[in-house]
Amino acid sequence: MDFFDRFAIPHASPAIYASMVAIVLTSVAIVAGLTYFKKWGYLWREWLTTVDHKRIGIMYLLSALLMLFRGGVDAIMMRAQLAAPESKLLDAQHYNEIFTTHGVVMILFMAMPFIIGFMNFVVPLQIGARDVAFPRLNAISFWLFFMGAMLFNISFVVGGSPDAGWTSYFPLAGNEFSESVGTNYYMIAIQIAGIGTLMTGINFMTTILKMRAPGMTLMKMPMFTWSSLITNAIIVFAFPVLTVLLAMGTMDRLFGTQFFTTENGGMDMLWANFFWVWGHPEVYILILPAFGIYSQVISTFARRNLYGYKSMVWSMVIISLLSFLVWVHHFFTMGQGALANSIFSITTMAIAVPTGVKIFNWLLTLWKGKIVITTPMLYSMLFIPLFTIGGVTGVMLGMSAADYQYHNTMFLVAHFHMVIIPGVVFAMLAGLTFYWPKMFGFMLNERIGKLTAWIIAISTLVAFMPMFFTGLDGQARRMYTYSEATGFGPLNMISFVGALGLAAGFVLLVYNVYYSTRYASRDISADPWDARTLEWATHTPVPSYNFAVEPQVSSEEPLWDAKKNGHELFKGEYKEIHMPNNSGVPFIMSSIFFVWGFSFVFSLWIPLILATIGIFACMTHRSFEKDHGHHISVKEIEETEEKLRGA
Amino acid sequence: MKIDHSLPLEYSTEENRLKILGFWIFLGAEIMLFATLFAGYFTLANRTGNGPTGAEIFEITPVLIETFLLLASSFTIGLGIHAMRLGNKKAMLTFFAVTLILGLGFLGVEIYDFVVYVHEGAAIQTSAFTSMLLTTLGTHGAHVTVGFFWGLFIILQVRKRGLTPETANKSFIFSLYWHFLDVVWIFIFSFIYMKGMM
Amino acid sequence: MRELFPAKQVMGFVFSLVLTAVALLVYFLDMSFTTGMTILLITAFVQAGLQLVVFMHAGETKDKGAIYTNIYYGLIIALVTIFGTLLTMVWDM
Repeated sequence: MDFFDRFAIPHASPAIYASMVAIVLTSVAIVAGLTYFKKWGYLWREWLTTVDHKRIGIMYLLSALLMLFRGGVDAIMMRAQLAAPESKLLDAQHYNEIFTTHGVVMILFMAMPFIIGFMNFVVPLQIGARDVAFPRLNAISFWLFFMGAMLFNISFVVGGSPDAGWTSYFPLAGNEFSESVGTNYYMIAIQIAGIGTLMTGINFMTTILKMRAPGMTLMKMPMFTWSSLITNAIIVFAFPVLTVLLAMGTMDRLFGTQFFTTENGGMDMLWANFFWVWGHPEVYILILPAFGIYSQVISTFARRNLYGYKSMVWSMVIISLLSFLVWVHHFFTMGQGALANSIFSITTMAIAVPTGVKIFNWLLTLWKGKIVITTPMLYSMLFIPLFTIGGVTGVMLGMSAADYQYHNTMFLVAHFHMVIIPGVVFAMLAGLTFYWPKMFGFMLNERIGKLTAWIIAISTLVAFMPMFFTGLDGQARRMYTYSEATGFGPLNMISFVGALGLAAGFVLLVYNVYYSTRYASRDISADPWDARTLEWATHTPVPSYNFAVEPQVSSEEPLWDAKKNGHELFKGEYKEIHMPNNSGVPFIMSSIFFVWGFSFVFSLWIPLILATIGIFACMTHRSFEKDHGHHISVKEIEETEEKLRGA
Repeated sequence: MKIDHSLPLEYSTEENRLKILGFWIFLGAEIMLFATLFAGYFTLANRTGNGPTGAEIFEITPVLIETFLLLASSFTIGLGIHAMRLGNKKAMLTFFAVTLILGLGFLGVEIYDFVVYVHEGAAIQTSAFTSMLLTTLGTHGAHVTVGFFWGLFIILQVRKRGLTPETANKSFIFSLYWHFLDVVWIFIFSFIYMKGMM
Repeated sequence: MRELFPAKQVMGFVFSLVLTAVALLVYFLDMSFTTGMTILLITAFVQAGLQLVVFMHAGETKDKGAIYTNIYYGLIIALVTIFGTLLTMVWDM
C-alpha cells in the first residue's frame, strides 16, 4: 500500500475530488466524441503530426487560453480567501499550492505559449517565408511545451501540487520543508517545457536571420519580427540557466546533492541568484513581443508609419542586454553589500530609459495619425497609461534602499501585475482580435470586443490599485490571512471585486468567440483591417505554402507600398514549392517525455530508464531517417490560388 | 533540391546553410549552460564542508592525459573535415574513427578519475564543492558520451550513403560540436584543475 | 598523404599544445594567485579563439556576422553572469 500512497493527494479537499471527477468525465467525453464523429484520423493527420507553423501557432494559442482559465481560477480563489479578514475558505497549505501554481501557470504555461503562438503564426508570414527554418523541431518544441504543461497540471490530482512559490526558493523547496512530490513536478515539468522553449529560440533566430523575403534587410523588418528576433536571442541565452538550475534542484531533492542545502557548504542563496539570472530576462521575453504587437496595431490604426523605427530597434537591443544585468534587484534584502546593490540599482533604473523611448514613440505615432478605434487599438490605448503605472512603481522598487520597505509586500504584487496585465495580457488580447480573421476567416464582434476591453481595463485597476496601499501599509504577499485589526479588509474586498470583474471580462471574451462563430460574416477580404505588412498580403485562409510567389520588399511596410504607392509585391511565375513532410515522431517523443517526467517525479526508476531509452531511440531514428519533404506542383498551386481567389 | 556547386558540400543547399547557422546559435546556448555551471563552481569552490578540498583530490597525471586526448581528438576531427572537403572519404572516416577512439579514451580516464574521487571521500553528496565539481565535469562528460554515439551514427551513414550534401552537413555540424567540447574542456582544465592545484 | 595534413591545422595543434604547456607553469612554478590567474586567463581565451577560427571555420561564410555576433553576445552575457554571481554571492556578501 505504501507504494500507492505516494500518488494520493496529501491535502485533499472536496474541491480537488470534484476536479478529479471533472477531469475524468471531460477526458471520457473527448474520447467518446472523437470516436463518435470519427475524428481520430483527422486529429492525427491534420494536427498531432503537423509541422505547419500556422497550425502549431494555433495550438499554442489554444493551450494558452486553456491555461489562462486554469490560472484564473487559482487567482479568484486567492482573492476570495483574502477578501475578508480571518477567512476560513482555504487553509494555509491549500493557499500555498494555489499561489504557486497560479504563478507558474500564468508565466510559463499561459504567457509563454501565447507569445510563442503569435510568433509561430505571424513571423513566417510577416517575412514572406514558407515556414520556419526547422519545421520538425518546431513541432517538437510545441509538444514538449504541451507535455510539460500537462505534467504540471496533473500534480493537483496525483501526488499534490508544488507549494514553495513560483520562485521555489531553497531551503523551503528542499526535501525537509517540502515533503510531497509537488516540488518534483515543478522541477521536471518546467524542465521539459523549457527545453521546448529553448529550441523555439534557436529555430526562430535562424528563421528570421536567414529566411526573409528578397529586399527585406534587417532594418526593413516589421516591428513584431524585430521584437521576436530580440526575444528569441534572450531565450537562447537565458533558458540554459534555467536548465542547469532545475537540474541542480532536482538532484538536491532526489539524489542528495548539497547545492542548496544549509549544511556541508550548501548555499541556498545560489538558487535565488540563478533563478533570477534566468527570471529577469524571462520578463523581457514576455514583454518585448507584446511591444511588437502594440507597434503593429498602433501604426495600423493610426494609419501611418511607426514613429522612430530606428530608435525602436535600438531600444530593444539595449533592453535585451540590460535584461541580463539587473537580476539582483529581485533580492536586494538578501544580505549582499551596498556595492552590489548600488550597481544593480543603477542598471535597473537605466532600463526605464529605452522603455520610455518606446512609450514616446507610440505617443508620437498617434500624434499625427488618423486614429481608428477598433478593439485591438482600444487595448493598445489602454495599455499606455496603465502600463506606465506599473513601470513607474518598478523604478521605485529598483531603488535598493527603498526596496527594504517594499520587498515581498503586496506593493510588489501590485507592481508586477500592473506591468504584466496591461503589458502582456492586453497585447495578447489585442493580437488575438487583430489576427483572428487571418487565422479563422471571420472577425470577432467589435461591440462585444470593446466592452470586454473596458471591463478588463477597469477591473485591472480595481483589482490591483488597492494592493499598492495595503502593501505600503505592510500587508505581506503569500500570507493566507490577516487579522481584522490590520485594517486591510476593505481594500482587499475591493480587490476581490476587481478579480470578479476580470473573470467576467474573460467570460465575455469566450462568449464573443461563440457569438462571432455563429453570426459573423464569412465574407471578409484577406486584409480586413487595411494593414501594412506582408501577413495580410496572402489569402485567407492562408494556403499551406503561405505565398504562391515569393514577395519582393523595398520598405518596412511592403503591403502599404503595394496598396498606395504602386509597389509590385509578387513578380514572376509560379514555381514548384518544396515543403516539409508531416511526422508523428515529435508527438510520440514528447509523449515519452511525459512518461519520463512522471516517472522522475515519483522516482520510478525502471520506467524512467525505459523512457530514456525511448527518447534516445527517437533521436536515433531521426538521425538515420531519410526525409526530403515533398513538392507542390505548379498545377496544384494554380488550382489552390484559383479557388482562394474565387472565395 | 537546389545544389550550389561553388560551395563546399556541407554548405551546398539552403537547408544545409540553415542547419549550420542554427547549430552555431545552439552553441551560443551551450556557452550559457557551461557559464552557469562555472558560476556555480566558482561560488561553491571553497565551500567544502567536512569534505576534501580541490587541492586534496586533484591529480595532475590523469588531467594531463585527458587534456592531451581531447586536444588531439579536436585536431583529428579538424583533419577529418579537411579530408571530407578534399572528397577523400576513406581518410575522412579514418580521422573520424580516430577521433571517437580518442574520445572513448578520454571518457575512460574521466570515469577512472571519478572512481578515485569517490574512493577518497569526494562523492556527489559529500559537500557543495563536490556536488558542483562532479556535476560540471559530468555535464561535459555526458556531452562527450552523446557525441560519441552521434559520431558513430554519422560514420555509419557516410559509409553507407557516401558523401552527399546531407551527410557532409551532418559531419561538419558534428565537428563543430566536438571542437566546442574541447573549448569547454580547456576552461575546465584552466579554471577548475590548474586554479585548484595552484 | 601530405595534403591530408594542412600546415594551418598542424600549426594550430602545435600552438594549442604550447599554450597548454604554458598553463602548466602555474602548477610547476611557485607564483602568486594574481600572476597565475593572469596566465590562465590568457592561455584559455587564446586557445578558445584558436579553436574557433582555425578549426571551426567560424568566419568562412557570409553568415560570419551573425555567427560572431552570437558568440560574442553569448560570451559577454556569460562573463556578466559569472562575475555578477561572484560579486553578489562571494565578494560582497
